[in-house]
Amino acid sequence: MSVRVTVQSMFELVAKEQKRQLLPLTDDMLLLNSGLDSLSLALIVARLEDSVGFDPFATIERFPVTFGDFVKLYENHPQ
Amino acid sequence: MESFYFSAGDHDLFAWLHEPAGRQANLGVVVCKPFGFESLCGHLSLRKFAEAAAALGVPALRVDYLGTGDSPEIEPQADQIDIWTRDVVAAVAELRRRTGVERVCLVGVRLGALLAARAARELEGVAGLFVVAPVLNGKRYLTELRTTRLAALMGVPDVVADPRFGGDIEAANPGLMEFTGYPLSAASIATLTPLKITPADTPAGAQWSIVDRADLPLAKDFGASLAAAGVPTGYTALPGFVEMCLVSPQYSVVPLPMVQVLREFLQGLLGAAPLPAGGAERVPKSAIRGEGGAVVSLPGDSADSRLTERPVCFGTEAQLFGIVTEPAQGEANRRAVIFPNTGTDFHMGASRMYVTLARMWARRGYVVLRMDFAGIGDSNTRPGRPDNDLFPPAALDDLRAGLKFIRDRYGVQEVTLCGLCSGGYHSLRAAAAGLDVQRILMVNPQNFFWKEGSPPDEGWKVSEAVRNPGIYRQKVGSLRAWKRLLTGEVSLWRIARVYTLRALLSLELFLRDAARSLHIRLPQDLGWELEDITRRGIHVAFVFSAGELGISLLKLQAGSSLRRLGDRFRMHVIEGADHTFSRSAARSLMAKTLTQELTAGPAVSSTGDTANRSVGDSLRPKEFQLFTGMVHAESTSKNALQRTSSSEY
Repeated sequence: MSVRVTVQSMFELVAKEQKRQLLPLTDDMLLLNSGLDSLSLALIVARLEDSVGFDPFATIERFPVTFGDFVKLYENHPQ
Repeated sequence: MESFYFSAGDHDLFAWLHEPAGRQANLGVVVCKPFGFESLCGHLSLRKFAEAAAALGVPALRVDYLGTGDSPEIEPQADQIDIWTRDVVAAVAELRRRTGVERVCLVGVRLGALLAARAARELEGVAGLFVVAPVLNGKRYLTELRTTRLAALMGVPDVVADPRFGGDIEAANPGLMEFTGYPLSAASIATLTPLKITPADTPAGAQWSIVDRADLPLAKDFGASLAAAGVPTGYTALPGFVEMCLVSPQYSVVPLPMVQVLREFLQGLLGAAPLPAGGAERVPKSAIRGEGGAVVSLPGDSADSRLTERPVCFGTEAQLFGIVTEPAQGEANRRAVIFPNTGTDFHMGASRMYVTLARMWARRGYVVLRMDFAGIGDSNTRPGRPDNDLFPPAALDDLRAGLKFIRDRYGVQEVTLCGLCSGGYHSLRAAAAGLDVQRILMVNPQNFFWKEGSPPDEGWKVSEAVRNPGIYRQKVGSLRAWKRLLTGEVSLWRIARVYTLRALLSLELFLRDAARSLHIRLPQDLGWELEDITRRGIHVAFVFSAGELGISLLKLQAGSSLRRLGDRFRMHVIEGADHTFSRSAARSLMAKTLTQELTAGPAVSSTGDTANRSVGDSLRPKEFQLFTGMVHAESTSKNALQRTSSSEY
């Protein structure tokens, strides 16, 4: 499974768990308007660490703005 | 169950003791709660853990660490991890002092598990450690918290905090970080970073029971290492942690399978046969007791202005619980504030804001009651009603009981109801129903009417209908937007639904305004209600975070009535704030605005008498003028409801 698909599935799973209405996951979708709150996003990151084996957020200072930026963080992270 | 304060060395702590109804075992439980939002969300579940223990004959004590829940404040630079570890040790001593038990089991959830393991090293007689989704590695936990913080800061503009109302605690305390409204000091972060739970933390003779998250089983290896070290260990991964601690509290669900594992673990420690599976399908709530000598003195602004905090029980049909913060002795004017629950958050409120406001306003001479409705927090549940009821149908009865209690006990003449989100809704309903209140302060209400059985997010459909057409209009010339529409990325059905609802709302607004002009009163007319309320002399103030749904709803549902409400109606919009004011800087602006509304006057009682009101900490005239100048009803502006920048404060 590609990183993008893994990330996308996690967004959908967490949105369902949190009873939140997730906007369509396009690259230009602003995470701020995605329908998820900060706790949901942190939950996604924690689970992705368990799934892909790394946490790109451990070293960054600013949260990605769009869904595309979020995916790139994982795609571009040295494995 | 009984609430009280006890001495934990150089400070007092608030606690609940759940005593068995029958014979007591020589084993007790201390529940070590998680940190921050998880503690708010998991409150009901922790109560159920304690009640399940008491039902087995095992007394259980739930404690609020210093600076959390109903306990006194903590210095912002203090090392919370060290202090909270000592608080767990003190809680064990208090449990033993009150019940005489010798053996204890520490029940820890998330950070509470780490604190329990640290405390266990300093304790004797620890028979067991029952941990749920334990924080095993401080560094990883902090990384999770930092991610939450980074996400929460996305797109949020900086605001200029007011230091007189709490200020920006991050700016004032270098290294401190605020996580969804809950701070960890620099010293706490330094202590927490290298911390890990290891098998060596196990006290001699103690057993472990680990309930891991099925969705994120991070404690599996730890369980295996305990077993390899010869420590008797039970490990199970169960679903339900997210629903217990990491959802909006109104969606929080008590993890009954985890409660069952705890019962079986305690049975094992007691040496009795395990209970049959399914024995924890329902955990009954026990009777609640407060008051007696249960008071705590909180430091005031000067040595002779100490506040008193007192747990109280009131109400008849349901046993209701609350905490009263009393001003210093000798306060002549009798004014009170009641905080009803925010959603299903217990009486401390989101980001602990009700505690902060209650103590702030008690210093200004107000008696403040933070109460739980029946079925929420530490109040009991009405027969036949569910726990965690977001809009309990008997909420008005509960508020009536709160009002009676505060008037009878304190001889109060003027009462203000103040609430965030559904707390604002209940305040409005109380005023509309004619309850004897003089002010209602509503922060970010998301609906003004409620039909039982409606989904909690019903209002968002209206929100979409209000906001989205503007967004669609902006994008009508965008090739990319058309491409997304034509490829099915954007739902045509959704756009159609939004426009249909928008048209219906516009029609409703028009018809309601027409009916009002003909003096015809339609059902569920917010405009009429607000006119009635203000006509009765009740001061009405709305405080919204910029972008809140309630702003649009207020305009839609109150319509032209907003122009007729006069100076007893105010509305404020605060920039840079989220729905629950989870950043201290924005919270300080909310506190300032609410304080000024609370003390703005002259207030006239609903019986028509001018209430005797002298403001303990008066605002400077110029400041007050600025404040009233930024207040805006629709009549003051061409724009429907203006946005006020925080810089105008």
